[in-house]
Amino acid sequence: MRRIGVDVGGTFTDLVFWDDATETSITHKTPSTPADPSQAIIKGILELCGKAECDPSSVDMVFHGTTVATNIALEHNGSRVGLITTEGFRDILHIARKKRPYNFSSYQDLPWQSFPLVRRRDRMTVRERITADGRVECPLDREGARGAIRSLKEAGVDAVAVCFLHAYSNPVHEEEVKELLAAEFPEAFVSLSSEVAPQYREYERFSTTALNAYIGPKVSRYLGNLAREAGGKGVSEEIHLMASAGGVVTLDSAAERPVSLLMSGPVAGLLAGCEIGRASGRRSVITLDVGGTSADVGVAPDGELRMKHLLDTKIGPYDAMVPMAEVDTIGAGGGSIAFVDKGGMFSVGPRSAGADPGPACYGRGGTEPTSTDAMVVLGWLRPENFLGGALDIDAGAARAAIEARIARELDTSVEYAATGIFQILSNSMGEAVSLQSVRKGFDPRDFVLVPQGGAGPLFGWDVARQLQIPRVVVPGHPGIASAIGLLTTDMRYEFPATVWESSDGADLERIEAEFRRLAELALSQLRADGLGDEAIAIQRTADCRYVGQGYELRVNVPDGPVTPAWIAQTVAAFGDAHERAYSRRFDDVAVQIVNIRVIGVGTVAKHEIPRLEGPGSDAERALKQTVSAFFPDESSPEPLEHETAVYDRALLGPGASFAGPAIVEQYDSTTIVGPGQAAAVDEVGHLIIEGVAA
Amino acid sequence: MKPVPTEGAVSSSLAGVGRRAAEVEVDPTTLRVIGGALDAIAKEMAQVLYRMAYSSIIRESEDLGAGIFDVSGREFCESDSTPMHIGSIPAYIRGVNRRLEGSYEPGDVVLHNHPYHGASHSPDYCVLVPIFWQGEHLGFAGCTGHVLDIGGAFPGLSLDVVDVWAEGKLIDSAKIYAAGVRNDHLFQHILDNVRTPDMNRGDIEAMIACCRLGERRFTELLERFGVETVLSAVEKWMDYSERMLRAEIEQVPDGVYRAPDGWLDDDGKNYGKPLKVALAVEVSGSDITIDLTGSAPQVETAFNVPFEGSVLPTCNFAVRTLFLDEATNQDFIPQNDGAFRAVRARAPLGTIFNPRFPASNFARFSQINRIPDLINQALAEVMPERIVAGCSAAVQSLAYSGVLDDDGQYWVYIEVNEGSYGGRCGKDGLDAVDCLMANTRNNPIEELELRQPMLCERYELRDDPPAAGRWRGGIGSVRRWRFLTKTYVGSEGDRRSDPPRGLFGGEDGRSGSIRRNPDGPAEESWPSKFTNSSCDPGDVLEISLPCGAGYGDPLERDPAAVRDDVLDELLSAAEARAVYGVALDPDSLEVDERATAELRGQRGDRE
Repeated sequence: MRRIGVDVGGTFTDLVFWDDATETSITHKTPSTPADPSQAIIKGILELCGKAECDPSSVDMVFHGTTVATNIALEHNGSRVGLITTEGFRDILHIARKKRPYNFSSYQDLPWQSFPLVRRRDRMTVRERITADGRVECPLDREGARGAIRSLKEAGVDAVAVCFLHAYSNPVHEEEVKELLAAEFPEAFVSLSSEVAPQYREYERFSTTALNAYIGPKVSRYLGNLAREAGGKGVSEEIHLMASAGGVVTLDSAAERPVSLLMSGPVAGLLAGCEIGRASGRRSVITLDVGGTSADVGVAPDGELRMKHLLDTKIGPYDAMVPMAEVDTIGAGGGSIAFVDKGGMFSVGPRSAGADPGPACYGRGGTEPTSTDAMVVLGWLRPENFLGGALDIDAGAARAAIEARIARELDTSVEYAATGIFQILSNSMGEAVSLQSVRKGFDPRDFVLVPQGGAGPLFGWDVARQLQIPRVVVPGHPGIASAIGLLTTDMRYEFPATVWESSDGADLERIEAEFRRLAELALSQLRADGLGDEAIAIQRTADCRYVGQGYELRVNVPDGPVTPAWIAQTVAAFGDAHERAYSRRFDDVAVQIVNIRVIGVGTVAKHEIPRLEGPGSDAERALKQTVSAFFPDESSPEPLEHETAVYDRALLGPGASFAGPAIVEQYDSTTIVGPGQAAAVDEVGHLIIEGVAA
Repeated sequence: MKPVPTEGAVSSSLAGVGRRAAEVEVDPTTLRVIGGALDAIAKEMAQVLYRMAYSSIIRESEDLGAGIFDVSGREFCESDSTPMHIGSIPAYIRGVNRRLEGSYEPGDVVLHNHPYHGASHSPDYCVLVPIFWQGEHLGFAGCTGHVLDIGGAFPGLSLDVVDVWAEGKLIDSAKIYAAGVRNDHLFQHILDNVRTPDMNRGDIEAMIACCRLGERRFTELLERFGVETVLSAVEKWMDYSERMLRAEIEQVPDGVYRAPDGWLDDDGKNYGKPLKVALAVEVSGSDITIDLTGSAPQVETAFNVPFEGSVLPTCNFAVRTLFLDEATNQDFIPQNDGAFRAVRARAPLGTIFNPRFPASNFARFSQINRIPDLINQALAEVMPERIVAGCSAAVQSLAYSGVLDDDGQYWVYIEVNEGSYGGRCGKDGLDAVDCLMANTRNNPIEELELRQPMLCERYELRDDPPAAGRWRGGIGSVRRWRFLTKTYVGSEGDRRSDPPRGLFGGEDGRSGSIRRNPDGPAEESWPSKFTNSSCDPGDVLEISLPCGAGYGDPLERDPAAVRDDVLDELLSAAEARAVYGVALDPDSLEVDERATAELRGQRGDRE
């Protein structure tokens, strides 16, 4: 089977071709076309097929990671949405959880009020009521619903979200309104809360559903165009999208539930890290993907993604109660700006110089020092190697900016200031890694660190040192890792249901029946995607808490019939999870099973990182020159100057090894090996840095 | 140790006490890294507490605080959970030290809630874990959290009670673990005397887990950087926060700025007898003092305020918000002892803001929230671009409870209802959101209905038009509950008789109300405070929350904004015309520019 992975970034669209019959892996990069991302995608696919010497129509599937959905949400430029909700509850989206983002501020804005997903004029109420146990307390006023639909149609909305209280426990009224919409307003994009996020907590469910409707029309238009254009150019129309939970979904499913795409990009990076670690013989990975403005940190113990806590699944200011793999983003990247504030405190970021004006050394008018400028001063980024020398770098401007804005203010040397910029950023990345590892009960010493993105390998060696991660695995092409990640995942769909059962006196048959119902949904989705039953696996999880607590933890639960023994195993698994998260367990307290989930996984052939032939195991051949560079030193605040070897990554073959400090250069990335560390290229071409636990 | 304050102005900081004699140099990079680590410790502590907690007040409302403190209670770092808790722990530590100083051992866990010895009020339990380094007692990891019930005369809330013993069980500096050994008998005794023992047990366990985590993380920081470097860095960060705040205060001309008197409805027993809140702001250089002299004498109910645990954190909050607004000031200024040093408060003993022991002081939120509201009023003329018109500035809390038929267990649900903000310079007031010192989350209706025999019939913005202004006031919400079983209800609220005050020509805000069985023949209007009322199955209770006041002349409001409010059905076209002088085309609802200019011209002439 031939497959292509396409990851669209702000600057470049990265592509990877994989043919599992011949084990051929080919990569490609083409400039992105932000106005219509599909142009660069089609162009890139055609160019890549040219490189691979294959006909575009012979490609079986295209796997795509996209930020289209995310950008609509972040830039507030979605569709006009109408809401139909329960009488008496028009303003659930306006009141939200009524907590201000900032404590110490009277002049803040509430994003859900300043940038509403649905304006009040478009929020219609209809008489109906369902209770917590799913009973119809008041039947749906069908005439009222019809009137609401007509008003919304007349107002000119593009999409309609239908959100009734307790619809997760009984969707009958939402489904009735869906039928009315099909009759009265068939052209509208429709989202039902009972379909998009069938779990209790009305604000989060309504917000998720409204967000789905808000991004829905634009995302489905984009995906439709992409499929059409691909077809027109003879490229496979079998396009799959990367979803936030770490699996791929079909284009149709993505178009219906675009809210599942919000973390598409970062998750692909984490999956790539898992594959990169696996190829080098390590399953537990921590990924550090550093770009120009931000860094994504992910942790996958045993190569398994972990899901975010319900309270953390937001996109920008909007709550989205959908499964998202645990990847944190912090404002630290190559463009992060360093400054000394008016109280004399030295800080870096989260403000970024972006691409324009960019770092001072770009010479495009930027005068504020950035992380990139610091690395130029330290000698790690050499002007002659920037994008293969394609970008003119003004080292003098980098030095001048740091001197004027930092060194003079703090009365330090320029090298001290530059080292400080690096260390402040590196420590905040370390803080983010520890938040996801040590602080969640995972020991970083059991992991490898996989740095990605253009700037990741500049930081990896030091972040690993801080956290005593024993090994850094730098992939062959750090800049396009996410595209590889797209080709390493399964098809994956998740179906939740709120059951609200307590471990003492649970209705076992009901839980069993719900699991069966959800499993049927998962099976029929995967079959509809063309998978045979032999390729389908069903996983089950439950969101549990001790009776009386307010927030759940997700645990894997056993297969097989739901029996008292099943309950006991689930209670024990929850106890373990609670102890890991909070260092305490209460074995004499009943456990509440709040939601159950069925995850349908359809196995597809995956990309494998091939063993590398050549280019030779002699590091000397790859040595470009020896330069003088500065590195932080434990024994003094001032950095130390070291003789530092500079290698050409392209000439480093399996078996090549060398000692740090060293700089390893390639087209779109530079890797640092710190003083006292050792590096070696393994059989798949990954650069392994060890000795980080200094 | 300083004596417990009696009269005169009291600093909201304990600065100077315990400052280490030998400070070492810390280079700027290390300083920044340690600052980030301290911030992360406090945040992580709070997260563990609210995600693990049982009480809805802690887990949903995030009514908690957590941080690291030195031996005398100086704050090194604190979580930014809810303002009422920020800065209250130092006073608890003073209270506990008066009994335990010199007797701490590694492995101790102390529980405390005495409102005359530092507690913010008695249901806010505090857990302290001493931190030792190489045998030396360096400080504490501490947290506070509001537990549901503390075994007072009434479930959940207390108003009409005779004294501090009637409001709940007091725990004064109790070691629930001594040198690592848990005192199960004491633990059991504490739980046996509250109505919600399982919930309280879970909450206390969560608080212990939170503090142990803080202890561990702070110790790791000491291991990484060394004790002298860390403690010296902490001093520098505290000095930094102090310097940043003082630099802003200094820009206000010296003087005494007096707010118009505010009036609280009553004490919850002597209905119809309003209570005065007098407030003046004294600025002298970079020092600021909030003077509450002239406010009402203490009352015979629980409607008094703990001075140390509540008034001081409130004044600190108000000053910080005004001068270092987080939304407009992007610098990272950590919350620590330094942020307290420029701020003082004065409230004579025997007044509502500084009662004499043993008066009850359980119900203090509506009074303290008037402090920031009146500070805005006092400083309106000197800093019109930073202050806010009158806010709801009370808190409407309701305690619902009942006894389950099957096992006689109590259920208790405390609802902290939101408020709204007054209009602001250049911006409308925030609608339906927690106000000033309050910043808690609501409970999902779907969760409440799963847990409690209550059915919500309405949760929306109020129907009344917003208070008019060039920038209009925020709109309060309205909530209706139908009770399915016999339910006891208590209320702590205010702001019925003295609505939020408009500024610079803006309209006053609107009062709140509580109505039983509204709009029917049996409708009853209930006061803002009551102690133990009840509702029968089928009864409906409607709670309306106050609307914030307007800022500036309504005739200067942007006609497009008026039109938006009409389209959003917050305002009628007739009101747009009458109040704002904006004429809308009756069909398209477009602004009729000419007619608007004419209307506004006429109105301007008349005035």
